[in-house]
Amino acid sequence: MPKLFKSLNQWREGRGGLENEVIDQFLLGHLDRRAFLRHGSRVGLSMAVMAGVLQATGFAPIGRAQAQGKPGGTIRLAQITPSGAIEPVSVADQGGLLPLQQAGDFLVMDGPDLVLRPMLATSWKPNADGSVWTFTLRSGVKFHDGRTMTADDVVASIDRLADPANGSNALSAFKGVLSKGGTTKVDDLTVRFTLDAPNGNFPYYVSSDNYNAIILPADYKGDFEKTFNGTGPFKMVSYTPKVGASFVRNPDYWAGPALVEKLELSFYADQQPQVLALLGGQIDLIQQVVVQGSQSLFDNPAVKILRLKSNAHRQIHMKNTGPFADKRVRQAMALTLDRPAIVKGLFRGMADLGNDSPFAPVFPSTDTSVPQRVKDIPKAKELMAAAGMSSGFEVTLTTMQLQELPAIASLIRNAAAEIGVKVTLKLEDVGAYYGDAVPGKSDWLDSQFGITDYGHRGTPNVFLAAPLLSTGTWNSAEFKNPEYDKLVASYIAALDPAAQKAQAGAIQKLLLDETPVIFPYFYDYMTATSATLQGVEGTAMGQMFLHKAGFA
Amino acid sequence: MTDTVPLAEPSLPVVPAPARAEGRGRGIVGVLLRSPGFLVGALILLFWTTCALFAPSFVPYDPYADDLLNTLVPPSVEHWFGTDQLGRDVFSRVLVGARDILTIAPLATIVGTVAGTAIGLITGYFGGWVDAVIGRLLEVMLSLPLIIVALLVLVALGPSTPTVVVVVGLVFAPLVARTVRAAVLTERHLDYVAAAAVRGEGAFYIMVAEILPNILPPIIVEATVRLGYAIFTIASLSFLGFGVQPPSPDWGLSIAENYGVLVGGYWWTVVFDTIATASLIVGVNLVAESLQRALAE
Repeated sequence: MPKLFKSLNQWREGRGGLENEVIDQFLLGHLDRRAFLRHGSRVGLSMAVMAGVLQATGFAPIGRAQAQGKPGGTIRLAQITPSGAIEPVSVADQGGLLPLQQAGDFLVMDGPDLVLRPMLATSWKPNADGSVWTFTLRSGVKFHDGRTMTADDVVASIDRLADPANGSNALSAFKGVLSKGGTTKVDDLTVRFTLDAPNGNFPYYVSSDNYNAIILPADYKGDFEKTFNGTGPFKMVSYTPKVGASFVRNPDYWAGPALVEKLELSFYADQQPQVLALLGGQIDLIQQVVVQGSQSLFDNPAVKILRLKSNAHRQIHMKNTGPFADKRVRQAMALTLDRPAIVKGLFRGMADLGNDSPFAPVFPSTDTSVPQRVKDIPKAKELMAAAGMSSGFEVTLTTMQLQELPAIASLIRNAAAEIGVKVTLKLEDVGAYYGDAVPGKSDWLDSQFGITDYGHRGTPNVFLAAPLLSTGTWNSAEFKNPEYDKLVASYIAALDPAAQKAQAGAIQKLLLDETPVIFPYFYDYMTATSATLQGVEGTAMGQMFLHKAGFA
Repeated sequence: MTDTVPLAEPSLPVVPAPARAEGRGRGIVGVLLRSPGFLVGALILLFWTTCALFAPSFVPYDPYADDLLNTLVPPSVEHWFGTDQLGRDVFSRVLVGARDILTIAPLATIVGTVAGTAIGLITGYFGGWVDAVIGRLLEVMLSLPLIIVALLVLVALGPSTPTVVVVVGLVFAPLVARTVRAAVLTERHLDYVAAAAVRGEGAFYIMVAEILPNILPPIIVEATVRLGYAIFTIASLSFLGFGVQPPSPDWGLSIAENYGVLVGGYWWTVVFDTIATASLIVGVNLVAESLQRALAE
């Protein structure tokens, strides 16, 4: 035992109070290994320190036993067509973020396990209340045009995204967190972020999680598509909008040149041709496959499926008007869904159950002791009767022609019929559903009852804020609850894991009671590769880190 | 050719319009009943019409009821045509799915035939600049791919069953108008038309009461041909998401909902709806072709 203490003390020395708090929580058994790594990386514990603590306590060491292939060759990647220009400030879709990330790097990478890893920043530390975060940058990083990256480039890149005048897609994350001018240079290799309010998860905001936040030269003019000038592992050779892009490896990449010589991206509008192309050997990798339509890949020995737990989900909002103004009606609607059957039937078990809050099981702060909502038609009928709605009502459910959404809409229609609610479906194309994304001009925000897709994030902060806060810009449910707003502010500010979990539990219980939005499931993110391609590391955001990938 | 009213000899006596349509009815039925094509087509139509009217009362399962623990089950004794992605019985859905298409397609055909006949009568009867102007407009419409025109209008107005009926009907109207105009041009110089004009009958009366009964055969043939195309067009629109809305078991919609899983080998979710659509179109076309032959004899 004295040896253990000596060893642990060695790793505790020189750490701040917050870092040692995370180590203590782990030693006390309040955090499991996975949660320790996530919380440790969040507050800036280096991989070396976390590995040392794990080794001292007899846990499995850190290490991603990713197989690597031989050098050379070309990876042919199929992905969904980007909906607009490949422009770091404005990209807002899975199709656009992948080409962006091949040529550019983030300060921090949010890995497939939600553990933060250094990229262009080598370390980060918060002040005592988490309102100021200081990042140390990697030295000697070069842009594709040969210039060296400095703190000026980082300040300009992040400030550009935080400036409302630029209309950046990242504003949805930065709103109330980081304002223009909040990013300052300390020296050439140190950057300080002074936040609008304390935020315990800030490193995620400048990680690959915020897919717009690749670091660009300070004098970037908004012409990314011409050169794709970043610090990333691949340099662009050619790019044809709506068709594809070709890259060669960057010989000066800070982590060493990529294994493969070339990378070719092909854009597809639909999943089926991608599946057929992989089966036919025309491509090596599909960015994302969904269960529906890719069943032929799952049992095929020539194909590998990389499956990541994710918090990507669908939100079924019930606007606080008409019959849905009574929370008992909202609760009743939520009680009609047979979630385990949905996960089994629609996702072949490759999804987690939702419990009507954004806290997916994958988040380390989720309070798993909150009881899971289960289908209970008698109780739902009781609630309807108590709300004076025993004879039901009619409502239109609006959603998009996207992946399994029409199917889930049909299931909701059938489930609601069990308590006398007559649901009429209105399915639109994606563009028509989102409209102009402002109230009055968007079925997404205006519909009384709708289903919206939300992609994976490293933290639940955006899910807690934009669709549910009284001031939230995506608040389709028009949910306004001062107690909730206060709890979310406390959660976002909380730095230590115990405080985060306590706030999370309170939020989960409040949302379960109010049920402004039904969160039925959180589905796994799946990537398909040919069996010979190794070392592919993806994120549930849709990014593919390929510089260590190669063919066997 | 620029006259709006055909000139006639002042001394021409009253000439009754030839009663071709009435006199040949019995003969046509006889010819049709001796045509194997017509009998097969009519049988197919009768089958699907029966399904459209009564299938909900005799199918083995509720076509809307999901069963998530039995999704994508292959054809079996329990589910003759298997189940779809939501565990719904494909056999029941295919039979009940005839209802939407057999409601919308005939209605759209009626809209298209009535509108097209009106336009064809006017352009053929009046000729001159009326024919020139409307004729060019119709040519412009016919030069555009019909499905694209229908899609554009549906995007603008939003998909709903009445909109689909009107849009498909109006898209077909120029085709009907072209046929009707050609028939009117043949008739307008015949004696009975000239005689009616001499009697002082108005243009509307002459078109509707004199000419129309005599050009009914080509209109009927055209309508049956259009019905086949209407079925195909509406199925295509449903497949593209602009026709019938979920959770209807409509064939085009079902193919759209399930074709994604075809690559996985779940052929039964798509094949039976496809066969149903094809059989209905073949049935309509067999009847149309037989009718055309019978009328020509």
